[in-house]
Amino acid sequence: MKKILVLSSITSSLVVGGAYKIPEQSLNSMALGAAYIAHTSGGDTAYFNPANMAFMEEKQFLELGVTWAHLPRNKFEGFQAYSATEISFANNHSEVENFQLPFLHYVANSMNNFRWGMSLIVPGGLTKRWNSGHQKVFAEEFTLKTIELNPVLSYKVSNNFAFAGGLRFIYSEGVVNSDGGKIKPIKREMKGKTFEVGYNLAVSYKPTTDINMAVTYRSNIDLEEEGDANLYLFDVGRQYSANVTVPLPATLSFAVSKTWQKKYTFELNYEKTYWSKYDTLMFAYGEPIQPLLVSSFNDPKLKNWKDSDTFRVGVTAKLTPFVTLMAGYSKDESPINRKYLSYELPDSNANIYSLGVRIKANENLSYGVAYLHDKKDAFSLKAGENENGVIGKFSEGGANLLTVGMGYTF
Amino acid sequence: MGSPLLFIACGDSFDEPNNEKVKGGELFVNFPASAIKLELLGKGLIDENRTVYGYKAYKIPYTTTNEEGNEVDVSGLLVLPIGLPSIVNSTLGLSMVSDGHGAIFKNSEAPSVIADETGAPSGSSVLFTSLGGFATLQSDYIGFGDSKNDYHPFLLKKSSADTTIDFIEQVKIFSKENNITLNNQLFLTGYSEGGYTTMATLQKIEEENELFVSMAIPMAGPYALESVVDGVLSQPKLEVPSFIANIGYAYVQSHDQELRLVINEPYASTLPILLNGDINRSEIDSKLTKITTGEKGLFVSKFVNDYFTKDTHWFKNAMRTNSVHAWKANTPIRLLHCKKDEIIPYSISELTEITMNAMGARDVKLISVEETLGMKTEAGHIGCGTLAYSLATTLFATVRKETIGY
Repeated sequence: MKKILVLSSITSSLVVGGAYKIPEQSLNSMALGAAYIAHTSGGDTAYFNPANMAFMEEKQFLELGVTWAHLPRNKFEGFQAYSATEISFANNHSEVENFQLPFLHYVANSMNNFRWGMSLIVPGGLTKRWNSGHQKVFAEEFTLKTIELNPVLSYKVSNNFAFAGGLRFIYSEGVVNSDGGKIKPIKREMKGKTFEVGYNLAVSYKPTTDINMAVTYRSNIDLEEEGDANLYLFDVGRQYSANVTVPLPATLSFAVSKTWQKKYTFELNYEKTYWSKYDTLMFAYGEPIQPLLVSSFNDPKLKNWKDSDTFRVGVTAKLTPFVTLMAGYSKDESPINRKYLSYELPDSNANIYSLGVRIKANENLSYGVAYLHDKKDAFSLKAGENENGVIGKFSEGGANLLTVGMGYTF
Repeated sequence: MGSPLLFIACGDSFDEPNNEKVKGGELFVNFPASAIKLELLGKGLIDENRTVYGYKAYKIPYTTTNEEGNEVDVSGLLVLPIGLPSIVNSTLGLSMVSDGHGAIFKNSEAPSVIADETGAPSGSSVLFTSLGGFATLQSDYIGFGDSKNDYHPFLLKKSSADTTIDFIEQVKIFSKENNITLNNQLFLTGYSEGGYTTMATLQKIEEENELFVSMAIPMAGPYALESVVDGVLSQPKLEVPSFIANIGYAYVQSHDQELRLVINEPYASTLPILLNGDINRSEIDSKLTKITTGEKGLFVSKFVNDYFTKDTHWFKNAMRTNSVHAWKANTPIRLLHCKKDEIIPYSISELTEITMNAMGARDVKLISVEETLGMKTEAGHIGCGTLAYSLATTLFATVRKETIGY
């Protein structure tokens, strides 16, 4: 069967702006809140701006580490309306989620003006659960796991201009469960997976030795999740093959950085995410599903998401030859159209704060730690404002991420 | 609590639905009484005070014998009421209604397939089970459900009876294995083809004397096949060509005849495809001619001519052999029929009542559905179905009350 709305929501949020997006895939990017495109330095350059590989020192770079993600619960205070006359109290909170995100980056030695690198990362991952109440009817569990292998190749045109391209091999798996319990006699259990390919491009230009400019682009990837679904009506389930296609939208980033005294660097990023491609979520089944389940599990769900803007700033300070401090701030716009919002992703605009430190242990080895806090805006939906019958206030949520990582050159 | 997310792929396996497990069958529908009552109230079919029972439907696979005498794997649907007084389950047991469905062409119209594909109560079993409190038994018949790849022996006496009787026996086994208390009281009914099947089944049961039927209510069935076919083939136009084409096809198959000697081309070539269970009646009708016979007709002229002129013609013999209207029944029989039936004329039931009584049947009565229900208008074949089933439910419930006590 088909993978689900949930899956799509999760994916989206992970990849680009939104409640649980995790663009930060290394120690430096976490410390800088992903304001890390124009001015990159270690092995993670392969992922954040592969064009910059062309300007790196003539040696190999390795960067690895792990991020612990802690997603606080979402709190909801309000009502769930199933129709004009079926309105129930629906105060509730989602479950706290914790998971780990490893990363590995590598940049090889150059060959003439070419240089290759690769990244193995988890660009998104989420488990969101509502274990009770009306929210469980819609979103008992939404889980997404993704792995991306991203080989890249750069070409140095001149000492101040380079470009790069890469392929994105993405494998993802999703789980979507919802349970009407005593509220509605319907339940679903879904599981699916897909392997997709996309691409990324990057251009870097250094007008002066202390200014870097860059543009990066990641292509849209339609995740055609295929798997199975058990759909239940009054506790009697039937299994279907199912699929659903959700977009992993294209992202275009512009970045500029300025360095003073070879010690202090300020970077400004603007990121456009083309979420408007996500206009409808539609599930397809191998055969017609039971008529009484169609409205809940088969009818197309309008999304009408909008393109989102994210602004990021990052500051890097080399305090000593051995200690580098980093800090960042981002203003992250949610792409979700609240008219069609549901409990699986009650996302809102966010302010993201981050900081970190990297210690140089010797000529080859460095290590460090970074922390990021994603603070979501609370928001309310009035009666009649949401097509899914959500009336009330969402608050809390957000994310806390802690990364430890190390870099090695040889 | 959290879920670790690592470079670990999920397993490929996906569990089957966690449904109630039973021996020898599969649960397809489980609707509580409240949901059914809401639906029936919404349709204005009952009033607020009417007792409604929950509805549990199981598909039960079983084996029967086809017209050629070979074993074939078939399926049926058993529907049980939920919420009856505890004394019914503990002591009295459920009375059974074996309900033969009417003529269908598409596999998705078979009882167990409907239950599987909709997950919801459907058709006459709602009346018998949720309103009447009976265990309802519905065979899919050969050619549908688990035996979709076999041809359907349409209006063939032997396999119609065997398919129904074997299902009744299998339901008894299923009930015993799953602690379902039946009381062995058995009623037979069915509409249209199901009416024919009911009569064929009752005749075989009385011949074999292994089951006891408290009452049979065949409804609007073509019991006197020769009269029915005489009437159809003597008309220049076919009202519903799919029905007579289905008879021709089934009898050719079962009597080892050549289809092209019965059905004209191009219909002889397309009929096996049209009747493969994937196409519904109206679509089949649209692909067949309504001209009965002749060069452009459905039936070969020589075949029709021989049928009417040669008393020993194989098809005429087959019609006689497979008619179920002329025998001496000991079981009380109520023939329900609507007078305005345009597909199976009311006169067929009149002929059946007269013939059976003349042969010494113990208690056979024809009942006009419209007159009994006090209707001011008369109903056709399709419209009569629900009315007839409602009346049959009441008649069976009256007998059960007098004999079993609930």
